[in-house]
Amino acid sequence: MGDRLKEKVAVVTGAGRGIGRGVALLLASEGAAVVVNDLGASVSGEDASATPAEEVVAEIRAAGGSAVANADSVADFAAAENIVGTAVREFGRIDILINVAGILRDRMVFNLSEDDWDAVIAVHLKGTFNTVRHASRHMREQKGGRIVNFSSTSGLYGNSGQANYGAAKDGVAGLTRVVSRDLGKYGITVNAIAPVARTRMTQTVSDAARQARASRGITAGAPATELRMEAEDVAPMVAYLCTAAAKDINGQFFVVRGGVISLLNYPAPARTITKQGRWTPEEIAALFPSTFGMDLVNPAPARD
Amino acid sequence: MGMLEGKVAVVTGAGRGIGRGVALALAGAGAAVVVNDLGVDLHGQDPSASPAGQVVEEIRAAGGRAVANGDSVSEWATAENLIQTAIREFGRIDIVVTCAGILRDRMIFNMSEDDFGSVLAVHLKGTFNCLRHAAPIMREQRCGRIITFASGSGLFGNPGQANYGAAKSGIGGLTKVAARDLGKYGITVNSICPVAATRMTLTEETLKAREIRKQQGIIREEKALAQLEDLKPEDVAPMVVFLASDDAANVNGQFFLCAGGSISLLSQPRAIKTIFKSDAAWTLDELDETVPLTLAEGLVNPAPARQS
Repeated sequence: MGDRLKEKVAVVTGAGRGIGRGVALLLASEGAAVVVNDLGASVSGEDASATPAEEVVAEIRAAGGSAVANADSVADFAAAENIVGTAVREFGRIDILINVAGILRDRMVFNLSEDDWDAVIAVHLKGTFNTVRHASRHMREQKGGRIVNFSSTSGLYGNSGQANYGAAKDGVAGLTRVVSRDLGKYGITVNAIAPVARTRMTQTVSDAARQARASRGITAGAPATELRMEAEDVAPMVAYLCTAAAKDINGQFFVVRGGVISLLNYPAPARTITKQGRWTPEEIAALFPSTFGMDLVNPAPARD
Repeated sequence: MGMLEGKVAVVTGAGRGIGRGVALALAGAGAAVVVNDLGVDLHGQDPSASPAGQVVEEIRAAGGRAVANGDSVSEWATAENLIQTAIREFGRIDIVVTCAGILRDRMIFNMSEDDFGSVLAVHLKGTFNCLRHAAPIMREQRCGRIITFASGSGLFGNPGQANYGAAKSGIGGLTKVAARDLGKYGITVNSICPVAATRMTLTEETLKAREIRKQQGIIREEKALAQLEDLKPEDVAPMVVFLASDDAANVNGQFFLCAGGSISLLSQPRAIKTIFKSDAAWTLDELDETVPLTLAEGLVNPAPARQS
């Protein structure tokens, strides 16, 4: 228990279970009043139930904190406005927005249906836009606020079978970088977390698939020392970004896995070739192997 | 003999600007080209068949093979028809280049649902649609080249472009995943981040905004960006032709920044600073003490709060 977020009001989406639940509990224990948003749906976004959000609210209240449940869908522009509106109605303002809500529909890209694509983009990317857009108006008026979005290493490094999820999560990254610049001058910070944690979402990637990838050298196999990766471990860095101490951390990306927290680079030119005037494709082909191509690795080389 | 002799390509947004340059260069290297363009304005309004038709004329006049197509990439079914046009007209599809895009710039707090949705539909869904419909055919053929268009806007964060930045970064993620899904079938998926003087970049607003940002030191401008007017849209095409060729068979999942005569390979995401506890999560007390001296050390706020 602390008082770093005393008198602050927070909205946490996808807060009924897993990482979002951990974030909601920690923010509340630091004194924030929390709108616990969760549809209570399955990993693929079906079978909604109000129970998970209500259980988290009960847990916060039992510990002496302040919270209300909300079951609106972030994917809907008007419903997302009501999530933000709930914070303002119930607690008078909104200082903190944490976007954790998400679903998964894994398929290889050549089998991915339009619906699998749309549903995942709608919750992660449109959903993050929706809540950020509505919250930003209040935060701009207040001249202060904290937004933490959830991206993923799936998009950053490219997880096979997750074209929809990888696109959505890298989209959230781009949104975060732009919005940090749109809102910074109003005293608002916008950062992103790429979590690695054991939750019901990560259990969808089967052990067989992991082993198949590892055997082809596409991702590393399990190392000798297993790192911690509990869902609750992600919360402290999220809460830290919401405190006064983090007022100048803006537009940044952190990977959090158990007790490991990393700052990610911004993309930048790694190697450059320049000539006066226009290149020809033949010139590029001739120069490529000794310049760009020197240590490029094809992440999935052709099989004969 | 051109580098792409016997290949069949689809280029979206090929009626003007960068897409036009790509279509002409692919045709010049020997590929038959489906020139796709809705012929709309910058915001996606007022369709016209003439830009695509004119590029086809130009290719044919130079002795190349091309057909025009006016389907919208943002619709699943019309995007399928676009890919099928290549099959119907030229018997196969080897190369897909997705340049089609629109702009609706607004600060995030003023951005409408439609501004966000329409930009995402054309760039991100449009790229997915074309890639998705081409992928099963390329998988059967055991070869193919997909070249998507991302943008420095999403990678570096341009103010006023939450929709465009999200869409273009989303294309980045799609590109990386598709590279891994399709690589083993002999298909490569790479991305270009172009910097060029086109009707999308040389608007009065963007030039003014660019100047203000530069004065405030908010964005780190590449030197090349200062002379945006000198960066021709046609300059982007040679790298696309190279990536479409057999020479680039093992270049997969990469991002290239193309600005005039300058081509850069972009770095992949990397952890640059890490703090570690092996046995437990960090506590807030510990983070208060550690983060300012480690992860946050030297970080610059790209848009610091203004004292009001």
